[in-house]
Amino acid sequence: MFAYVIRRLLRTLLVLVGVSVVVFAFVRSIPGDPATALLGERATPEAAAKLNAQWGFDKPWFINYKDLSRPFDAQYPRYVNQLLHGDMGSGIKSQIPVADELKTRFPATIELALGAMVFALSIGLPAGILAALRRNSLWDNLATTISLVGVSMPVFWLGLLLSWFFAVVLGWLPPSSRLSTGLNIQPVTGMYLLDGLLRGRLDVAWDAFKHLILPSIALGTIPMAITARITRSSLLETLGQDYVRTARAKGLPARSVTLKHALRNALLPVVTVVGLQMGALLGGAVLTETIFSWPGLGLWLYDAISMRDYPVIQGGIVFAALIVSVVNLLVDLSYAYLDPRIHYS
Amino acid sequence: MTATITTKPKKQENIFWRRFRRSTPGKLGASIVALFVLLALLAPVIKPYNPAGDIDYRYRLAPPSISAYWNQEAKEKYTEPVSGKIEYFKHPFGTDNLGRDIATRVLHGARISLQIGILATMLALLTGSLLGLLGGFFGGWLDTVLGYFSDVMLAFPGILLAIGIVSISNNPGLTTAMIAVSIVQIPIYLRLARSVVLGVREREFVQAAGALGASQGRMIFRHVLPNILSPLIVQGALSIATATIEAAALGFIGLGAQPPTPEWGTMLADSRQYYTSAPWTMIFPGLAILLTVLGFNLLGDGLRDVLDPRSTQ
Repeated sequence: MFAYVIRRLLRTLLVLVGVSVVVFAFVRSIPGDPATALLGERATPEAAAKLNAQWGFDKPWFINYKDLSRPFDAQYPRYVNQLLHGDMGSGIKSQIPVADELKTRFPATIELALGAMVFALSIGLPAGILAALRRNSLWDNLATTISLVGVSMPVFWLGLLLSWFFAVVLGWLPPSSRLSTGLNIQPVTGMYLLDGLLRGRLDVAWDAFKHLILPSIALGTIPMAITARITRSSLLETLGQDYVRTARAKGLPARSVTLKHALRNALLPVVTVVGLQMGALLGGAVLTETIFSWPGLGLWLYDAISMRDYPVIQGGIVFAALIVSVVNLLVDLSYAYLDPRIHYS
Repeated sequence: MTATITTKPKKQENIFWRRFRRSTPGKLGASIVALFVLLALLAPVIKPYNPAGDIDYRYRLAPPSISAYWNQEAKEKYTEPVSGKIEYFKHPFGTDNLGRDIATRVLHGARISLQIGILATMLALLTGSLLGLLGGFFGGWLDTVLGYFSDVMLAFPGILLAIGIVSISNNPGLTTAMIAVSIVQIPIYLRLARSVVLGVREREFVQAAGALGASQGRMIFRHVLPNILSPLIVQGALSIATATIEAAALGFIGLGAQPPTPEWGTMLADSRQYYTSAPWTMIFPGLAILLTVLGFNLLGDGLRDVLDPRSTQ
């Protein structure tokens, strides 16, 4: 087990190095340069070149082939060196250190992703369980239909639809941002709903909650549909197993058979799938955040790409990939915990 | 003279069709897909598209004309001033900010979306499964490198990778979006093909072919390839759905098809300025995306029922 964890960790680390190299090369292949993007089209080439040189963007990418006596005086080695010293650089436009910006952006995205997950699980799990227990009933058909439509849903359209109906037509919920203007709160976790509760500012918590509902539903619909689907098929499979029949034959109450024997075992694939949804959630967050002007990672990256803000794009995407990789790692390792039959050699 | 049998023995119905006809999702999906394919093919006949000539400033952001059946405002809008007749089908889905008919644009969008979805998937399927086939069959360093390569690609949220690829090309448009969506899907096929090949490679009939002196190319393409097709086809149908959504998403954030191309995602992007007062500019293109994607997802499920009867999902 221990050896497996170490090997798995090394592999994750290697993948992250690969990701950083890819992102690094990608970002620099985007036509245009940060200085011109910042100074505008009418800046003289000399001024732009000077600014780029000041930021070190005139240096070779990976190896300083111009002067081999100092081979690591190139952009990537310098960037890695910076990273190892805990410095992710600063945004070119904002001049705010990327690490600081991450500290406010990341909790916003996490709050959104958690909201989406809560929505997905609170609807998807019961729907899947109900569908499996009452197979071929009206409930089953309803749950199956909803999950089919759900997985086919374009997130960005659902976002527009929700904000039109609930914010414009009914006027029940705010259409964008995280808090109403005029309200603010000293962050503890950076997740406003939680911060409001922690600091006893119930008005802020309520307001944050209302802002969170629509984006969470938009982002959570696909995971909800997938959860319902997997739960249903996994539970159906478990219910057909011999040990469930044995438990029934022993005369255990039906409730205890389904909940204790079947459901617990049926949830293993659900954990996997839910965990693997994390990557999709971060991707979906880019779209959801642009629709709801949610100031998280997605909106930040989206803006950064149009501004050619190299440090921000690099930092943000590598960070997103880090999160996805770590979650995948945890999902893998949780198998052994959840299913004692699995041994890693 | 001996009697000859004149009636041919009744041809046995293909097992594929027999199973497919029993699969409700399959039938439903196939019908939706067929409908959209038909609409896409017939679009120029049903209503020719002319981005410049179709602009009708008298009907800017006009509501769907079918709503004239119950909506007084729409009724007045679509009443012909001279004859007093109500034109219920003048702009059935309404018009956009330039007075372009949304129904026509959605119709022609079907051509674009189906093209992107199918081409992108085919490209990814061919490249990815070829690489996976080779990696799985030969193993060794090739397999390691390809595995690493797909691990790195899968660590990115898909849409971010697609955005990155489009940004590099500096040439946002349909072709670029298609290639980007396609590249993102390559690792999926690579892994799928590889895992199936690993199972098939050790089976007796492949070993036997090798023992009989078949060349490696023959073993791969004649013996292994046909046996990994089923999962690839199922994944293919499901991938068209994903590709359609991703291409529309790129259009939506302005990195896909460019206006005035009537691509569904691009139409949704255009609608963002108007949808609060003219929701029909947003509702119909999105509904078209949803239905197309639903159709391919159902078709994929149906094909799985047919081609892989062991799977319970």
